[in-house]
Amino acid sequence: MANYDIGISGLEAAQRALDVIGNNLANVATEGYHRQRIELTPAYSSQIGSVLLGGGVNIAGITRMIDTLLEQEILREQSLLEAVSQESITMRTVENAFGELSTGNSLSATIDEFFNALQDLSAHPGQAIWQNQAVTTAEVMASRFRTLGEFLSTLENQIKLEAENTIEQINALITQIAELNDKIESMEIGGAQANDLRDKRDQYITELSGFIGIETLSREYGVVDVTVGGIPVVIGASVIELEVGLDENDELGITIAGAYSYNTNVQGGRLGGLLSLKNELVSDIYKDLNDLASAIVQQVNQYHVQGVGSEGSFTGLTGWVMADEDFADFEPPITSGSVFIRVTDTTVPGTTTITRHEIDIAANPTLSDFADYITNNITGLTASVTSSRLSISANANYEFDFLPGVLSDPTTSNLNGDAGSSIPTVTISGIYTGTASQTYTCTVVGDGEVGNDDDLKIEVRIGTDLIKTLDVGSYAAGDRLEIGDGIYVSVGTGQLNNGEIFTIEALASSDTSGVLAAVGINTFFYGSGASDIAVCSDIAATPGRVATALGADMTDNANASRLAGLRDQAVSSLDSMAPGEFYHRMITDVGQQLSVKQMRQDNIEVMVQNLLNQQSEVSGVDINDEAAQLLIFEQMFQAMAKYMATIQSTVAALMEAM
Amino acid sequence: MGTLSNIYNNVSFALSLHTEAMARLQEQVATGSQINRPSDDPSAAYRVLGLNSQKSLLENYMDSLVDVVSLLDISSTAIDSMKHALSKVTARLTGISGSSGAGGIAGEVDNWLESIVSSANTNRMDQYLFGGSNTGSAPYAVTRTDGKISSVTYQGSLGDRNIEVAPGVESSAFYVGDNIFRSHNRSTPIFPGDTGAAAGTGTSNVSGDVWLTVREKGGGGYELSIDDGDSWFDAGGANVAVEHSTTKEVLYVNSSNITGTGTDWVRVPGTYDIFNTLITIRDRLETEGGLTIAELEELRHNALSSLAELDNLLLQSSVSMGSKIGFLDDLKDSLNNRKYDTEDEVTRLQQADIAQIAIDLSRREVLYQMSLAVAAKLMSLSLLDFIV
Repeated sequence: MANYDIGISGLEAAQRALDVIGNNLANVATEGYHRQRIELTPAYSSQIGSVLLGGGVNIAGITRMIDTLLEQEILREQSLLEAVSQESITMRTVENAFGELSTGNSLSATIDEFFNALQDLSAHPGQAIWQNQAVTTAEVMASRFRTLGEFLSTLENQIKLEAENTIEQINALITQIAELNDKIESMEIGGAQANDLRDKRDQYITELSGFIGIETLSREYGVVDVTVGGIPVVIGASVIELEVGLDENDELGITIAGAYSYNTNVQGGRLGGLLSLKNELVSDIYKDLNDLASAIVQQVNQYHVQGVGSEGSFTGLTGWVMADEDFADFEPPITSGSVFIRVTDTTVPGTTTITRHEIDIAANPTLSDFADYITNNITGLTASVTSSRLSISANANYEFDFLPGVLSDPTTSNLNGDAGSSIPTVTISGIYTGTASQTYTCTVVGDGEVGNDDDLKIEVRIGTDLIKTLDVGSYAAGDRLEIGDGIYVSVGTGQLNNGEIFTIEALASSDTSGVLAAVGINTFFYGSGASDIAVCSDIAATPGRVATALGADMTDNANASRLAGLRDQAVSSLDSMAPGEFYHRMITDVGQQLSVKQMRQDNIEVMVQNLLNQQSEVSGVDINDEAAQLLIFEQMFQAMAKYMATIQSTVAALMEAM
Repeated sequence: MGTLSNIYNNVSFALSLHTEAMARLQEQVATGSQINRPSDDPSAAYRVLGLNSQKSLLENYMDSLVDVVSLLDISSTAIDSMKHALSKVTARLTGISGSSGAGGIAGEVDNWLESIVSSANTNRMDQYLFGGSNTGSAPYAVTRTDGKISSVTYQGSLGDRNIEVAPGVESSAFYVGDNIFRSHNRSTPIFPGDTGAAAGTGTSNVSGDVWLTVREKGGGGYELSIDDGDSWFDAGGANVAVEHSTTKEVLYVNSSNITGTGTDWVRVPGTYDIFNTLITIRDRLETEGGLTIAELEELRHNALSSLAELDNLLLQSSVSMGSKIGFLDDLKDSLNNRKYDTEDEVTRLQQADIAQIAIDLSRREVLYQMSLAVAAKLMSLSLLDFIV
């Protein structure tokens, strides 16, 4: 009864086909669903002579419509899209936080205002209103730095937390993929086709590719192995779990759970984006911001420590709490140079004596040594180190400061005068403008009285180089004579003798070691980076302490001008750029990176869109197509039913004839 | 094979693009700026940031310039008032015809002296204008005797306070009073008296007017003093250093030809300061017992010479200030032009083109509507509608 078999096989094939169509239609909106098709083959039952008679239809299988290469490409591109998208979103947040070109209170504006205020202060160094303005604008700038520093610091922490959450999701997904691998393999070894399970597993793989860049390897019985960043996380039904953490360079990476061998170079997916943000993009911005804040702190402080404000010299100064008391362990280390302290002694009523003392850092390599040297060698001053803070205080009727330049008296002198005439008084004045410290050696040429012997000269030399010859024989004793670099000498009446010498030491800097700025003595700013930059409390409380002057009379604006000039001064730690220029480049780089990432994201989005369309054409459910198939198999079913009825009728007729 | 899913994906993608583009356009219209963040146009943003800084700097320079010009204007006015005072004194001295009116003129000179000292100590917003870099305290300290000014001492700074008023351009807004109210062009002292004393060969460092007293020395010869007899020096040579016991200043005297005693008024041209000159004139006019005609004539002659020197000094300062004010005004105009240029460039780079935005917005709107319309059309019909 082959006829019945043929009919039954046709009816069954049509029913299964309608099931598949129904299933396709039911999953038309199911994400990750791949259209299925029934595979039918003719059945052969017998051969009569040379004629091969058909035996109906066989169901060869139900196949998922899938293009594996296309699916792999989609996984790769979606993974990239997630990474770039994560980077873009975060970089956009960073850009918005900086607020350049959109808010008036941007860091760029506050830096400009700070240097403008210093310039204003240079015009009015002794006036409280301008001192307050300089302090206020510095506080606003520092506050803006701190806000941005804290934002970036928090962002880095959030990125780490987000990475930890992501890795948990990744671990959950790889577990599910492995479980499905196991089920699929079990079913397909038994000869069944686990299409829906494959769809489900592939959907998890797609989700996984959104979290991290993956590589897949298909094996027999539908098993797919998954590798992440070189780590095989799914091998059949086995799973290797991952975790994230910071390596020794403070870079975020992934590792096999418990192995602590971090791979920081993970590409693709949200996690790839997060790692890129933490290890490169955000950390670079944070580093640049810290470098900028640090450079401003160092540059301003290195000048500020040497000057004095309208409050004048000091009776006491206290530095910062230092992490280490050994100068060689400072960051950057301090191993050489000197600090020059100027001490004003008014213990004798009506007399002011100013002396300058050099402290050699190489010979006093710790804070305590430094303090001890002051206490033991400088009359009128006492220094101590308490809780790693250096304090210098002056005794009654003493004051101190760190003004560079020249003292009013020669550093050394062997002027003797003679029996009938007094020793001329030599007075030094002016503000030294040289860039390097110099010792001027002044040698008398000729014998005679100042102002009374035409041949009497003083030759001024630096080393052996003659830089000036002063005609003191025919000049009005006491008048000022310029010897260069802003320094003046006046020689009073009296006798000078051939070969007599006096020297003038002119300091370009009173701290060639950098110790004062490093330990916070007479500094303007406190802190070492964007997160902790602040105006020193002493300065904030007493704006008259803003060090505007470098001259001995403490009324000039030389230091204020020097501080204002930092606006345009290239700094080596800022890639030889001035602070403002460096910041403009930095924030423009952020914009540039964001712009490039946005373009890349747009391109990948278009590519993914095209790939998804292509995938939809291959694997998607088209209602029209399914409806056409529905008509075909409906009619097939009807035809086979009619065929069975005809066979039945034929058999019945035969039975009646019998 | 096209599917409904394809249509949905395409529409969704297109709508997202159009919405994003329209949001961007809307932001540009709302802010009036086509660059609202660096990523909108990084290279233009870099220039805008630099230009904004430059604009801020230029505005600051211009504020400084306005301040400096204002200070110079006030300084110039103070000097003009001093010149006016000097011209009054000169006029009164010129008009003296007899010793009887000298006392009255002395009173007037004293008033003008007070006025001049007050002008020299002019301050603006707690900043003294003629103290050089020391603007915090009055540059001229006055000592009074019986209520009258007996000496005026400069206690300001000898250093200028230079202020940057433009990139690389510095200007001093606060003059060193000692430079502009005192002559620094020392000449050989003039001995117009009749004792026979004359200038020695040494370079004296006394300033202005000095009173050289010559007296006979016990045992023959003469003695010289410039401190009202507090210390005496033997005459007898061509170059006697006569030192003031307090100030230690020295007057070199050729005493070889001294033939008489008395007090000579020694003038040191090129060293006068405006205050002590007026003090000397006032004090001479107040001389007890009045002045002889010859003394009055000597006074008038010497005083007019000194005043002419000082008037010339003030004139030079006044011209210098006027010239500086003119230069700074030009500089201000130049900075103003640069500021406008900077603003123009910022506007050109940053300002949104509203007309273009309106066109772009319309285009996007049409595309948005078409995407929706086409999708609705395509998705509204399928084969299922025809299966009965």
